[in-house]
Parts: sequence; C-alpha cells; structure tokens
Amino acid sequence: MDTSSFSYLESRKLVKRWNGPIPALINTFLILAFFYVTWWIFQDPRGLMRMYTPYVGYMVCRWLLIIFIWLAYIFDYWPFKRTWLNKTHPLIKGAVLTLVSVAAMVLLIKGFFVEILGNYGIAYFNPDRLIEMGITDFYSIEYAAEAIMMFAAIASWLAPSWVVACENAPWQKLGQPARGITIVVVTFFISMIVYFVTMHSHMAILFYPWQKYTAICPPYWEQFANTVSGNFHIAWIMCCTVVVWQFETIWERYPFNLIKNDTLRRVASFFGIIGIALALCFFLFYAQDLVWGETIRGTRRLMAPDWRWLHVGEMAIFWLLPTLYLNFYCGNWPTKFSRPVNVCIRTILTAAMAVVVYVIYYKTSHLFLGTQKGFSHPQQFPMIPMIWLINIFLINVWFMDGWPGWKAIPKTEEELAEVHEEIVASDVKWTPGIAKGLAVGVVAGLILYLVVINVLPWIGANVNIIK
Amino acid sequence: MSNDTKNVSRRDFVKGAATGLVAGAFAGMGMYSYSPWAYDRMPDVERKQHDFGSCRSVRITNISETSWFNNAHLIGDIHEAGGLLVNQYTLNWAPFGNGKGSAQGAYEEGIGSIKDLLPHDIEKAWEIQKKLSLHPENPGGYSCLIEVEALDGTIHKYLLDTGWSYSWMNDCFKREGIDQMLRDQEIEALFISHEHWDHFWGLPVTVKYDNRIPLYVHDGFYDEGLQYIKDCGYKGDLTIVDKPVTPIIPGMALLKFDVPIINRVFGETSLAFNIKDKGLVLISGCCHQGILKFADFAFANLKYDNDKFYGIYGGLHISPFEDWDPKYDDLVISLGQWGFERIGCNHCTGHLTAKKFIEAGYPVVRGTARFRSASKDYLGNGDKINFGC
Repeated sequence: MDTSSFSYLESRKLVKRWNGPIPALINTFLILAFFYVTWWIFQDPRGLMRMYTPYVGYMVCRWLLIIFIWLAYIFDYWPFKRTWLNKTHPLIKGAVLTLVSVAAMVLLIKGFFVEILGNYGIAYFNPDRLIEMGITDFYSIEYAAEAIMMFAAIASWLAPSWVVACENAPWQKLGQPARGITIVVVTFFISMIVYFVTMHSHMAILFYPWQKYTAICPPYWEQFANTVSGNFHIAWIMCCTVVVWQFETIWERYPFNLIKNDTLRRVASFFGIIGIALALCFFLFYAQDLVWGETIRGTRRLMAPDWRWLHVGEMAIFWLLPTLYLNFYCGNWPTKFSRPVNVCIRTILTAAMAVVVYVIYYKTSHLFLGTQKGFSHPQQFPMIPMIWLINIFLINVWFMDGWPGWKAIPKTEEELAEVHEEIVASDVKWTPGIAKGLAVGVVAGLILYLVVINVLPWIGANVNIIK
Repeated sequence: MSNDTKNVSRRDFVKGAATGLVAGAFAGMGMYSYSPWAYDRMPDVERKQHDFGSCRSVRITNISETSWFNNAHLIGDIHEAGGLLVNQYTLNWAPFGNGKGSAQGAYEEGIGSIKDLLPHDIEKAWEIQKKLSLHPENPGGYSCLIEVEALDGTIHKYLLDTGWSYSWMNDCFKREGIDQMLRDQEIEALFISHEHWDHFWGLPVTVKYDNRIPLYVHDGFYDEGLQYIKDCGYKGDLTIVDKPVTPIIPGMALLKFDVPIINRVFGETSLAFNIKDKGLVLISGCCHQGILKFADFAFANLKYDNDKFYGIYGGLHISPFEDWDPKYDDLVISLGQWGFERIGCNHCTGHLTAKKFIEAGYPVVRGTARFRSASKDYLGNGDKINFGC
C-alpha cells in the first residue's frame, strides 16, 4: 500500500517499549515534571517570566495549541520530510518541531495580529495603540491578548474540524503544502467571520463609549445569554473544541462514520459536533445553576452569568484532559468490545475522570500553580494550565512519538486499511436488534440525565470542594 | 444456529443500547437544560428573614476613598511583579518594603524594619518604609466613619477600614477628627472589610490612638495579616468573623462573603443596616462579592423595613483601575431593577462606572472632589452621606 497517501500520524504505529503500565507511568511522570518546570519558567505568577497575567499566558498557550494542530494535522509536518520524521531521534524531533511552532506563534502574534492587524485594521489588537490612547499599560496588553487569544480559540475548533469532520474536503487530494495552506487560509477566514460575529461586539463595549458605529452594541446575544459579555461564546466554542477531539479520539468518529455518503457524512460530522457541543454547553450552564443557584445579571463572580458561561468552557476543558490521556497513553481503553460499547464506556469513564480532575484542580491548584483559591477569581483560568498540559501531551505524542514509553514503527498494510475503517465504519449495521437497543438506550440516557440533574442540587447543598 | 442468531441479536441490542445511552443523555442535555421547563423546576429562594432589628439613621463620613493616587504606578507595580495573583506581601510596597525590588518583598523583612516603632511612632516608621518600598508616594487608603442613630437616639460610631499609608491616613483622621474620637474611645469597633493593602495596612494609625478598639476581620485572613495585627501593637478583642451574619447592634449586622480576591486575598465582610420605615442600606469596603450578590444575600437572609433596598455606600469594585469589561455593563444595565433610592459610591467603583451610572439615570449622590479626590461623579474625601436622616 502506498503510505504517502496517509498522513504521518496515520502511517505510524506507536508501540510500547515496556510491558504493562510502565510506559504510561514513566511518560506521565516526565510530562508532569516538564509541565511543572515549564509552568514555573513561563506561566507561574511566582516564577520567571510570569506570563499568567492571565491573558498573555492564555494567548500563548492557545496559539501554541493551534499551531501544533496546523503543523501535525493540517500541514502533515511539511516542510519536514517523512524520512526525517521516521529517522530522527524523538528528543531532537520534539525540540525542533516545538521551536518551529514557537517561532511561528511569535511571528503570527507579533507580526500579523499586533503589527499588521493592530496598525492597519483594528486598533485593539495592538497594545501600544491602546496605551497611546490613554489606557493603562497592563490593561492595554491584556485587552489585546484577549482578542488575539479568542481568535485562536475559534481557530482551534475550526481547524481540526476541517480535518476530522470534513476530512480535508474538497482538498484532500492536494499535495503539501498546497493542502495545508488552503485549509489554513480557509479555516482562518472562517475563524475571522466567527470572531467578528461572536467577539468583536464584546471588544467594542470594552471601551467607553461603546464603539457602536463599528460593532453591534449591545450585542445580539444579550437577552438569550443574559449578559453582554462574549464569554457566552467562549462557552459553546470551547465545547466545540473539546467535542471535536472526543469525536476524533475516544469516539473514533462514531456514529457519523456509519454514513457512507461522503458529503452527508462530512456535513453531519461538522454540524453534529456543533450540536453535541451546544447540548454540552447548555447542560454545563444548567448544572451550575442547579449547584449554585440561578445567576444574577450584573453581579460578579460565582453568581454572574458571564462567569458561568466562561466556566462552561472551563469545565469542558477538564473533560478534554482525560479524553486525550486515555487515547494517548492508555491505548484508548477499552478496545475489546464493539465500537459503540467502547465509545460508551470511554465517554462515561472520561466524564467521571473529568469530575475528579476538576475537584483536584480546585482543591490544590492554588498551592502549586500560583493561582488563587476559589472558583471564580478573575484571574483563575483553569483553561491555561489545562491547555498547557495538553500542549505537552501533543508535543510528546505528535512530535516525539510518545518517547520514552513508546516508539513509532510503520503500520502494516492491514493496519493501514483500518485507517479507512475509521473514516467509513462497517462494523455496525442497522438491524431490528440495534433499533430496539437504541430505543432502550435513549430512554436510559434520558433517565441518566434526569438522575444527574436531580443529584446536582444535593451536591450543591452538601459538598464543599473549596474550604 | 438459533443460538448464533440470538447472540448476534443480543450483541446488536447492546450496540444500539450503548449508542442510545450516550445519544439520549446528550439529547436530554440539549433539549431540556436551557429550556423554560428546566428553570420552572428550580426552587424559589427560601427567605430566612433574620430579624436584626432596626435603627433610625446612618450617616457616613468619607475619611478617605483615595486608596492610591496613580493607577499607572499601582497596576504597573503589580504587572511588573507578575500580575494580579502575586501575593500582596511580596509586592514590595510600604509598609512591607525590604529594598529588594519588585516581587522581592517579604512580610518578616518589611515589618522587621519598623516593628519597634509601632504604633507610637508611625511617622518615623513610614519614613523608613518610604526608602525601602516601590512608589512610596502612591499609597492612600480607604476608610469611613459610620454613625448609627439607634431608635432611642443614641449615636454609635464605627470605623470601616483603616486605609494604607500611615502618613496619609493620619492626616485624614486628623482632618475628620477621628484621632480624637479614637482617643476618647467614642468609636465602638473597627471592621476590616478585607485584607487588601489599601483597607488594612494602615492599621497602626487606628491602633496609635486606640489600641484596644474591638476589631473584626474575615476568617480568610492569612498568617501575615493576623501577625500584622499583633505586630501593630494591638491589644484589644479580635473577632475572627466566621458566620455569614453577625449582628452588631439593633439594625446593624456584619455579613461575611467567602470570595477570592486579587493578590492572594480571600474573603470580604460588609455591613447591612435596617433603617426604620425606609429599608435596607448596604455599606461595603470594596464589595468584591458584587453589590448584587450583597443585596441578594441580604434579600435571602435578612428582614428589613418595607422589604425595600434603600441605599448603598462604598467601593463597589467595578473598575478600580479604570479598566472595563462588558460584564460591568451588565451591572450598569441591571442595577436600576433593584430600586435603590440613594447610591453613594467611590473608590474601586471607578470613575467610569460612576459616570455610566449617572448616564443611566441612577440616583448617584455627587461629591465635591476635595482633598485629592478626582471626580465629582462620586463621594470624595470628606464628603458625607445620610440614610434616613
């Protein structure tokens, strides 16, 4: 089989260097150590560079994430040759690819957003312009960083969606770099439209008076979201970002990969991800209301709708961490059942693990990350350490082939054939048994949902995570 | 063969059920969670209606609302130190400067340089600290005098907060006659709204004049804060507030909010008053819990006349550094629905917020912009406001 028709990530197989859980344990230990050292150097408010201001640090980790995605998923590592990827030691590969990504990130942030867009298009992308107009240095930098970061948040949903859901269509047959450039340009363009529709009004009312001649003020979502804050959009966009990776990893693109028709499957996948993300978004907002009581528009912190929407995105990212960990370091366990059962177990398992990570984070992060105690501190952004850690996962698995616990070997022809099975699955066919099971399952799912929303008020009344 | 068929069918059933379970759960989330039905089942707020009595009036004298004089210096120092999460005791601001520069401060080193002078020689202590700290001319402070008239006509006096700069606060105390009131032990208690530099670090100024004044602090105070109370030479009764509602006198209660605050501070206490025949008055230091959360908590827990929100005074913590965020507009848009009749705000409310309140037509009590207060849009240093008089 011609391996060049497969991306590098599709063409390689990661095999454990040691039996049992040792590779996962060693990688976890090294990753956490690397996380903590780099957190201290770059992000920690007590550390060296202190980029967790918070928006500067947030902007950096978001853009690193999107550039990793561009490099590995969209450009398929171009301009690096496949032979170099196959033969180079993972440590060197990891260092080179990470540094190239950092350089691209600096170029994009400083070159495109600050210098070009900030000087010739929209002033708030350039902190110096805001300072010149009388805004405090600190907030000038924060406002600009927030805008640049939010662009990355949108792109880090749309860029992988184009690969995972749309299967690179209609440019899947283009060679690199033509395909990569095309998809980046298209997703960047769509990100810009989404940015204007979801965040530009937020930025426009960040200044006094409201910039109502250049943006919709008050924004159109005000009544529905019960806030004029763009945090409402962060909620569903973050859920989209998380769901697209769940779809790609623990769900193995199920169930949309049962659709044989290419166009229908791609459209269903793309909008299906958005639909699932919206469902998750509304649930996570409602869950907070059940635990903490209904929001009060205009108040601050825990009871404010803007913070609750932001926290939806934060809760979603807590789910992404165990999702990627299960896929990267636990062999996407379990794999021995049928695809739907595996997917179901993984979904429940990772959701439970997300709750555990959430609790651990809020109980301990202020002790070792330099963040503040409490859920709703204005500088408490769990997305930053979560994405920082996820970035390290990606460096380890995408750039270093899972070194030291794993090594990459070429896939056999049979294994390569399974890649297609991922895209169009044939292991589930419509039968009366499926139909009956589906009906029973849907009812069970609804009951599960009802149980959860009935338990949440009790949790709110009886469980105190932060003391 | 029939067994095979049964097995296949059972396997298919399980496949369908597993798919349906996840799909059903997400369907429930999407179709019900943000619907009106979901919110119809939310329980109504159960009002505890704690009766804490009533008083005739409350009069507030703004001793100082100018916690710092230059936003750029203050936020610049915080930025240089690493941002809004940096521990305030390490920022290297007076009175905990150690001469080592940004973010290199330490409580022990700072207090070590002046401990022997507290509280009797605060002028000299501040002069020493000015040489060791960053932007020593920037500190001011927040403090107000609250005079509560009981139903029998008795006047009770309290201090809310004690500012920051020893020299500035000492001058402000003298300007408003607070020094003499403290010497005469006319002031019945000092409430510290929260542990921040501009509300708490000026403690030796109060202690200098009355080292036994009853003192109330939130139970979220850190070790440094509690040690500072001792190191100031304080000898009185310290109350660590650990209950949501602490009645003080009839018509006056201290409310506790467990809220994380910038620069590693945790928790805020604020005051509520029931003015007879008028309604509820809320007074805050910085109101990090948010004025609407403050009001909502009072609504759920306190009994007050006419069931009416009557007045507000204090820092409302909206745009303290003249920063802005759309979420602040949510307050500007919605505050009117709460029906406050008199709004006295200043300090961390921010000039821009006060301006927006006025533009929205809210009953903001204007000030005189004296004694280095920067705007007439709100109650400045030396200004007074009355509720119920």
